[in-house]
Amino acid sequence: MKLAVVGKGGAGKTTTSSVVARRLARQGLPVVALDCDSNPNLGISLGVGDEETERLVSMRQALDDGREEHAPTWDTLLSRYGSDGPDGVRLAVVARIDNPDPG
Amino acid sequence: MSAMRIAFVGKGGAGKSAIAGTFARTLARQGAPVLAVDSDPLPGLAFSLGLAIEDTPPIPDDAVRERREGEKGPRWRLRDDIDPLDAVDRWSVAAPDGVRFLQFGNIRGSGNNLWKPQMAFLQVVRALPPHRWNVVGDLPGGTRQAFTGWGHFADLIVVVVEPTAKSLLSGRRLARMAHTRDEGPAPRVVAVASKVREPADAEAVGRGTGLAVVGSVPWDEDLAEAERRALAPLDHAPQCPAVRAVESLVDVLCEERVA
Repeated sequence: MKLAVVGKGGAGKTTTSSVVARRLARQGLPVVALDCDSNPNLGISLGVGDEETERLVSMRQALDDGREEHAPTWDTLLSRYGSDGPDGVRLAVVARIDNPDPG
Repeated sequence: MSAMRIAFVGKGGAGKSAIAGTFARTLARQGAPVLAVDSDPLPGLAFSLGLAIEDTPPIPDDAVRERREGEKGPRWRLRDDIDPLDAVDRWSVAAPDGVRFLQFGNIRGSGNNLWKPQMAFLQVVRALPPHRWNVVGDLPGGTRQAFTGWGHFADLIVVVVEPTAKSLLSGRRLARMAHTRDEGPAPRVVAVASKVREPADAEAVGRGTGLAVVGSVPWDEDLAEAERRALAPLDHAPQCPAVRAVESLVDVLCEERVA
């Protein structure tokens, strides 16, 4: 199953995603939760906490700054940039915060 | 005294549009010329001002030209024969209380070319002479645009923060990014606590973001109902506590400016 949750800000995307992810994991499925928001907060709703959420964000940032190597494979990405959350959900932050504007 | 240039930012759903729209109209009621600017591709400011979404025409593509070879700066810009003040006159629409409303986040525009008018209009707002218009901007939710081109016009950034963990984290990120603006002097950054249910909430916003809290807007069923009905808070419930709180915010920021 590959599920994307979208909607207007504040509508409940992050909360919904986190509950779905943990529910699936509790049923015994291997679950990866990807935070693709440019303001990544999924870690908070999943329950990994402020600090761990910010640590994942700063690792993602380090990629752009050239301080980290890109992961060559999906598995490497998850092991290197992911974090184990409650119920065995694996969380990874995909988006970066400070995109420059286009044009 | 130069005019006020203020941008409302914060996590999606924190109340940016409702506060910005009410702020703009309140300022205009005091006699100030106010230009309200919505740069969000999911427009919300029009409703909060009391305009129907159909009232806001898209900006024509031919108002924009591409950067010439050897020219520096952004790729898309306003045509040379269009003055920024004229552009505001031509493409802004009248909103209640004398506010002029300019929308460049309009997603109903022309598909892939949307960036063109948006980028050109960002430059219009930035190029406005400092005394003519007070600018009140509603920026897209999240952390991406506040300190890039979208927020360049502002000398005061107001982060709207709910007393929730996610909103506080967003506020903290915005506070941290305030000094990373890629051009011009760093803007002043303050917080407004939103959907406040108890005094400790506003304190949590100050502590959690490290920003000065210049206003506190209470949780208000009337405001929520205005949002459900797509009405301006000032039209739906002009006396409600949330509207009163935004009126106080206008007073506080105006007094600060005079001082």
